Amino acid sequence: MKKSASIRLGVGAATVALLLTACGGGSGVSGSKGGTLYIISNAEQILHLDPQRNYTGEDLAFASGYLNRTLTQYTLSKDNNEASKLVADLATDTGTASNGSKTWSFTLRDGVKWQDGSAVTCDDVKYGVSRTFATDIITDGPTYAISLLDIPKNADGSSKYSGPYKNDSAGQALYDKAVVCDGNKITFNLASPASDFNYTVTLSAFAPVQKAKDTGEKYDDAVQSNGPYMIESYKKKSKMILVRNPNWSSSTDSIRPAFPDRIEYQFSVPEALVTERLMQDSGNDSMTISPDSIDPTKLAAVFAGAQYKDRRFNEFDPYVRYYAINTEKVPNVKHRQAILAALNREALRKIAGGIYAGDYADGVIKPNIGQDYAPTGLWDTLLGEKVEPTGNVALAKKLIKEAGQPFPNPLVFDYGKSPVADQAAAAVVASLARAGIVVKPNGLDIGAYYGIVLDPAKQGGMSAAGWAPDWLNASTVIPELFTPTGGFALSRYDDAQWLAKVKAAKELTDRGEQAKAWQDLNTEAAKLALAVPNRFGREQRLVGSKVQGAYIWGAYGSWPYGVLSVK
Amino acid sequence: MFPFIIRRLVQMTLMLILLSIVTFLLFSAVPTDPAALTCGKSCTPAIIAANRVRLGLDQPLVVQYLDWFKGIFVGRTYGYGQAAFECPAPCLGYSFRQGENVTTLLASALPVTLYLAIGAFVLWMFGGISSGIFAALRRGRWQDRAILGATLIGYSLPTFFVGLVLLTFVVVRWNLLPYPSYVAPFDDIVGFLQTMILPWIAVAVLNMAYYTRMTRSQMLDTLGNDFIRTARAKGLPERKVIRKHAFRAGVTPIVTSAGLDFAGLLGGAVITESVFGLPGVGRLAVDSVRQYDLPVLLGTTLLAASVVIIAMAIVEILYVLIDPRVKLQ
Amino acid sequence: MSNQILSVENLSVSFKTEDGIVRAVSGLSYSVSAGKTLAVVGESGSGKSVSSLAVMGLLSGSKVNITGEVHFDGKQLIGASPEEVRALRGEDMAMIFQDPLSALHPFYRISAQLIEAVQVHRNLSNDEAEKLAGKMLDRVGIPSVDRVLRAYPHELSGGMRQRVMIAMALINEPKLLIADEPTTALDVTVQAQILELLRNLQNDFNTAIVLITHDLGVVADMSDEVIVMYGGSAVEHAPVRELFYSPQMPYTWGLLDSIPQISGTDDRLEPIPGSPPSLINVPAGCVFAPRCIHKSEVGERCSTEYPELLSVGVDHQARCHLSTQQRNSIRPAKASP
Repeated sequence: MKKSASIRLGVGAATVALLLTACGGGSGVSGSKGGTLYIISNAEQILHLDPQRNYTGEDLAFASGYLNRTLTQYTLSKDNNEASKLVADLATDTGTASNGSKTWSFTLRDGVKWQDGSAVTCDDVKYGVSRTFATDIITDGPTYAISLLDIPKNADGSSKYSGPYKNDSAGQALYDKAVVCDGNKITFNLASPASDFNYTVTLSAFAPVQKAKDTGEKYDDAVQSNGPYMIESYKKKSKMILVRNPNWSSSTDSIRPAFPDRIEYQFSVPEALVTERLMQDSGNDSMTISPDSIDPTKLAAVFAGAQYKDRRFNEFDPYVRYYAINTEKVPNVKHRQAILAALNREALRKIAGGIYAGDYADGVIKPNIGQDYAPTGLWDTLLGEKVEPTGNVALAKKLIKEAGQPFPNPLVFDYGKSPVADQAAAAVVASLARAGIVVKPNGLDIGAYYGIVLDPAKQGGMSAAGWAPDWLNASTVIPELFTPTGGFALSRYDDAQWLAKVKAAKELTDRGEQAKAWQDLNTEAAKLALAVPNRFGREQRLVGSKVQGAYIWGAYGSWPYGVLSVK
Repeated sequence: MFPFIIRRLVQMTLMLILLSIVTFLLFSAVPTDPAALTCGKSCTPAIIAANRVRLGLDQPLVVQYLDWFKGIFVGRTYGYGQAAFECPAPCLGYSFRQGENVTTLLASALPVTLYLAIGAFVLWMFGGISSGIFAALRRGRWQDRAILGATLIGYSLPTFFVGLVLLTFVVVRWNLLPYPSYVAPFDDIVGFLQTMILPWIAVAVLNMAYYTRMTRSQMLDTLGNDFIRTARAKGLPERKVIRKHAFRAGVTPIVTSAGLDFAGLLGGAVITESVFGLPGVGRLAVDSVRQYDLPVLLGTTLLAASVVIIAMAIVEILYVLIDPRVKLQ
Repeated sequence: MSNQILSVENLSVSFKTEDGIVRAVSGLSYSVSAGKTLAVVGESGSGKSVSSLAVMGLLSGSKVNITGEVHFDGKQLIGASPEEVRALRGEDMAMIFQDPLSALHPFYRISAQLIEAVQVHRNLSNDEAEKLAGKMLDRVGIPSVDRVLRAYPHELSGGMRQRVMIAMALINEPKLLIADEPTTALDVTVQAQILELLRNLQNDFNTAIVLITHDLGVVADMSDEVIVMYGGSAVEHAPVRELFYSPQMPYTWGLLDSIPQISGTDDRLEPIPGSPPSLINVPAGCVFAPRCIHKSEVGERCSTEYPELLSVGVDHQARCHLSTQQRNSIRPAKASP
């Protein structure tokens, strides 16, 4: 056990410490109890601790591991397939679907308490979910509650319920019908069938919040915990200190072993120093972990040095990097396929950082999603010939000829400006020029980017993008990217037959069948060349030598905060 | 003196009001929609619209400005219902980006920048002036040449370079100091000094070069004056001639420059703050530009402007105190 | 003589510059007694100021070379430690300069500057020193002493400033006062007042005065003895009356001829042709030769042989190859009234 500078243990926590054994927590994970886990980052703060506003993978994993329990959660496992399996967290099981998967019920566990000692109730969950509807105060979070629950919408697409802060009895009544509390059983009534709703509720947007403690915009600073730890102090740009929550009990929580006594999160560490300190591994830095990627200039040293062998990780991050092709501007499928054939993906990967930047992608679904992924064969057979990473210019020219019409030049290519992105754009111009495709690069200010590409009038022919599934089901990928109602449908593809297939896949209740359906749709989308799959992004990270239990958790592409411990 | 101060305060107020209006206008002319920046992946037009309301961007510009202006005197309430919260007077706005009152952000960033500025200032003034005088007195000899050469190098080294070099060698390679992590001096004076010493040096190097040269040339200039000859003719020891007569006579442009340089630093030494991870005003300002965070941008701009205006007024007062031939405007 | 305050013997001052060695002063000798005034006359560049600065020890640096002897009140100054000389400055020997505005520090009040002059050499409190300053200002004829004490140099008129400078120089009652062009920057009316002031103070304190000037009017007004300098050397040395009525050197003739006379019959000023010599490449022979219109009377000797300072009368020396006869024929002595 490592001595820490100052540990404040409440009486309850001391009792908990006595109950748990030195090795092994509730979930069967092994680790050493006690000590302080240090986290350092260049970020100035955790973007949002407010559960309804937390939408970043790393922060979701952090909050879930320490502060915010949700109805269901992913399995904390190194294996991606295992990790994609649900476990019950606040609920007693992974939920019951009925009414053709339009109704979902969860029974809350007994005995789960907030840090102030009061019980976590069904009303707390209901209240938490309702906060998402106050879209002008609770911002930045996922809006699935709005899109999935059975509450009518206004003509402009906004919900008729505007959240718990407004005096809106009509809207509140609508909400009360969609989310019903009966003792400790919560029922969600959805607008359309969703066989994966129990995955949706892993998002902390469906986590409970106590109405009495809700301070709206300010709740971010004063979030209440029902997890094993609670916030002792939180100074943005400086430090956050988590100590044990005396009102958490491992008897109600089999997911979190809660090894460290204390967690200390240091913000605003200069970028260059984060990797440096982890490499040096001295003092408290040996018990340190960072959500930041390894400094690119140090990648070679870390992956060559034997002393880093057990501390370095090179895993998939959550993102697929691709270029969406606007089917309104490039309606001919052969033209689109020509783009795929001509592009020099090897040059692009080199510019992005070489092998560390990621693997060549063959579709918009990534292997770390679990069962929904299968190789599409895009670069081997789908286009008729093999396409090397450097491109197959002859094939591209052939496809353009087969299209019967000249290529609709120029192809306006939207991307977010940065020195690296500009280089990539130049490579795009050069490689497509080989097939006679004239690319006009349109570098946009990052702030303006979404405004342009999401606007059909302003969007170009091809847009650089990245996408990560919101939960481990391709229902958060294919429909979002390739249907008109999707949240990021840059391809603007609107084909009735295609839409029917996607709808059918979404509504399948057999998970195994659904997985096969997504795989087929992924392959079909690849052949339709709705996008150029560029890279399955990779991330490299380093941990201190005394940190135990670290791996990249496939669920969020993050550290498995809940099971980390220090020697 | 008193009427001068009153006049300056009035001028400053007018300038700040004008500046705030200009900033508002410039900000609104930028094509980027700050509301669109707030939602990233889940952006739908409805959410962007909701955010525009939240940020107050749906109001006409004049209303936005007046709301902000009013808030300075009487405070402001944001949100509604149970989610309402107060921004007490003087309320310079609320940053939704950072989840803090602008006043609070400035109040916590300013001391950091202040300590950085003061420490570096003392270092470079002492160093610059003494080496400038030293060089002037040994004009043409090897000490003078060495110092001039050193100033040339000092001039050409960008601050971030010096900062990075110091960080790399002193902290990382040689482990002479722990990794910099800002703490307030009242909380932990040792930690504070350990963190600040390198940033102080990084900022001071460039400025010291400038003040060495300036002092040297001022000294050479004043040493040629007739009253220096008189002072020596009176039998004053050379030390006193240098200090009381030569330096004092040439100090006014140094004071002016020093005042403005110090004020400029208070606007935020962006690069140094980034390299050493100091949560100062510079970082705040740059982030507010990058994130299109108008309230913070307004706050830092007005702060920087006020500081400069005050510094100029102080310099003018000092000018009069030093040189009796000059009258207050 | 027993009350000889300053005796300069064979003083030479040269400066090492990029263009060569500048011989500013060559072989200058003179002496001044208590209560007497020696005028040093010459054009700019004649070495008159430099020689005085050398005496006061105000020339320093590696590029300066001073040789010769300077005896002040029995002490040898050339070769003495700078500390010793500094102690004498402002106390026993003082100097006032040409432009009193630039010679006074613009940032300090008159009282502060006077007090400083006192406290360098004497252990008096601020109040005592200020009292002394006030008395001195009164002595030099300044009417509103309190106002002037509180004033800054730029608030006073030229005449007042020069009085202040004089007060500052004499506040410690020095034995020697060197006045370098004290009236040049002043109006003619003020000039007369300042000169009268100097005369009075000399009477009161018995000060020896070296008066450096290019203005022969001032010389006539105040001095007992005159040295005429040209090109770094003394070319004539005589009691004042002798010089004016019986000058013995062509340069002095030229100087006297170029003074406008109200009562003169000449209707044109006679300037001395040519320009002052270069002090770097000093040609052999008489320094004045290139401009002397009487060269022809002597011949080659003027250009090849440097004339010595020879006696041409009682206490009267001149540095010229012309014979007494030649001189008398060119310029007969005026009858002295």
